[in-house]
Amino acid sequence: MTAPALSVGDCSLLPDLLGASRPTGWPGLRKAAESALQHQDLPTTKDEDWKYADLRGLKALAFVPGQPETLDIKGRILPEARGTRLVFINGHHDPHHSCTSALPQGVRLLHLASASEAATQLGSLLKPDDSDIFANLNSARFLDGAYIFVPKNVKVETPLHLLFMSHANEAATFSQPRIIVVVEPGAEVELIEEYAGNGTYLTNSCVEIFIGENAELRHERIQRESTSAFHISNLRAKVSRDGRYHSRTISFGANFSRQTPQVSIQGTGADVILDGLALLNGTQVADTHSVLDHTQPDCTSHQLHKAIVDDEARAIFNGRIFVRRGAHGTDARQQSRNLLLSEKARVDTKPQLEIDADDVKCAHGAAVGQLDPEELFYLQSRGLNDQAARNLLTYGFAADLLAHIPVTSLRRQLRHAVMERTNATDLAADLGEMA
Amino acid sequence: MLSIKNLSATIGDTKVLKGINLEIKTGEVHAIMGPNGSGKSTLGKVLAGHPAYLVTDGEVLFEGRNLFEMEADERARAGVFMGFQHPIEVPGVSNAQFLRLAYNKQAEANGREEMDPLEFDDFIREKIQLVGMRDEFLDRSLNVGFSGGEKKRNEILQMAVLEPKLAILDELDSGLDVDALRIVGEAVTALKSPDKAILLITHYQRLLDHIPASHIHILQDGRIVKSGGPELAREVESRGYDWVKEETTAVANQ
Repeated sequence: MTAPALSVGDCSLLPDLLGASRPTGWPGLRKAAESALQHQDLPTTKDEDWKYADLRGLKALAFVPGQPETLDIKGRILPEARGTRLVFINGHHDPHHSCTSALPQGVRLLHLASASEAATQLGSLLKPDDSDIFANLNSARFLDGAYIFVPKNVKVETPLHLLFMSHANEAATFSQPRIIVVVEPGAEVELIEEYAGNGTYLTNSCVEIFIGENAELRHERIQRESTSAFHISNLRAKVSRDGRYHSRTISFGANFSRQTPQVSIQGTGADVILDGLALLNGTQVADTHSVLDHTQPDCTSHQLHKAIVDDEARAIFNGRIFVRRGAHGTDARQQSRNLLLSEKARVDTKPQLEIDADDVKCAHGAAVGQLDPEELFYLQSRGLNDQAARNLLTYGFAADLLAHIPVTSLRRQLRHAVMERTNATDLAADLGEMA
Repeated sequence: MLSIKNLSATIGDTKVLKGINLEIKTGEVHAIMGPNGSGKSTLGKVLAGHPAYLVTDGEVLFEGRNLFEMEADERARAGVFMGFQHPIEVPGVSNAQFLRLAYNKQAEANGREEMDPLEFDDFIREKIQLVGMRDEFLDRSLNVGFSGGEKKRNEILQMAVLEPKLAILDELDSGLDVDALRIVGEAVTALKSPDKAILLITHYQRLLDHIPASHIHILQDGRIVKSGGPELAREVESRGYDWVKEETTAVANQ
């Protein structure tokens, strides 16, 4: 193929990502993506959807494909998912650390390169000509990823864990995982999608989710990439009648991260939760652009997006909710709540509701602020000094979103990580072991 | 125990307290009564160390120590407790965690043994009986989703855990129905002891049916205009506050 035309200085991102030979499998999808890429270029801050996302750091780097290697994943093992885990290192499936021995009958948890049955779904929600260039880059060159299939009426008791680890030394590396999740009618499953690593690298992931009638997917998305990494994630989910998609995205890591979840409700009675929490410091930037599309009557959606921003970090939230004509009886709530911990920290938040239906209950709001002096005084009046009171309130602001994570070991891990981030570790002994 | 001399305080440009004098000894229960806007809640907040108020004159000694040289948290650790009229909600931190944290901060400051979660669990389960709360309240986030009455009970639970020398209870009866008021009143009465003191701040006499006060003070326009025994509260109940005002004005005009 011919490399797309470049307009951004010496930026080599596109040739770097496309230069590698086309991986085997899915030739149709890859070809279509390549031809779409001919007409696309990397976004700049002049693009409305990327207005606050400065990609210069990413554009200045040269990237090489991530190579398989052996990494220690001990700290990332969740006891609940001991036999339901897939591990990828630098984008490559790691059979040594993966273990799928505890899967119930009929449930599939495969690395994508070995899952020819993914053909039906792959590329059907994230089409090869998506408007997001990063999605198309993934379609053109993804190497591997995960395929999850839960058959009709099967309720999976153990959580499934996808762990994507990256490690880069001198040269910046990239990986482009692709994930397909199919939950058949009446089935239920809990999925943990986790990213972590060391060094400077790019993760460009794409997730396609299919939730059948009366099926349920609980989805915890943990982004704890290295603080010099770039993390870009496109997610598209389709929810059928009475289906439930409950997701939480927790972002601690990356120098720059971009989450683009788009959920389309395509049957009545569906229920969607699309929560997010970003904890940022240093010069981190976390950008969330979400879309929740109500196309059918009598569905509910809740979105609570929180950010705690310290130092010179920056959080961006742009959440769009569409209530289409005919989607009467919709109940959609959206809240963006942001805590600024320093003078140079910055939040740009834009909740948006577009309603074309009658008889709907919709509410949205945004709040950006510092800690409330009345709350601080309350804690001080109980004997906590100013700093301890501040740390506890900050911790609570974040931990509130973790309380509903059903996997105990993950919930504890994340609470501990939040404690570290909010300097509340000195309170850890006093707060005790938290269930 | 507490000695307030000529205390004046402002918030913004407004003078709220205009020369308060009050002596509270151990074992006593005092009640500050007064109409809305008289400054009674301000008095509580100034004593507890709310940063929004500026003390412009006077002094307050607590066990001989100058209260205004201590931060709010130091006062708390020294044994001053304030039960809030509107307790604050703190999501993400369970009631039990918070209670133990507060208990241990206090214990640490006073050279007492701190408690680990198991010890504290036994301790707290006994205390919640006192305020008639169910165990589940311990696992819920601090005050989040609590009804007005539950929040007030939780304040008294905190008081029971921290065992303050001086408890200032601001409008404890507001938001309480008759049954809750009785339970909270009994709990506070049970926490009374000869080496402690309580300062009740209330608009209504009904609270004093449940927590008998030995000393009643009527606060008006930032000053204590009348002090007396329990009979003064009953007089307020039957006659309201206006007669005190008229009487004071008459005295002033003589």
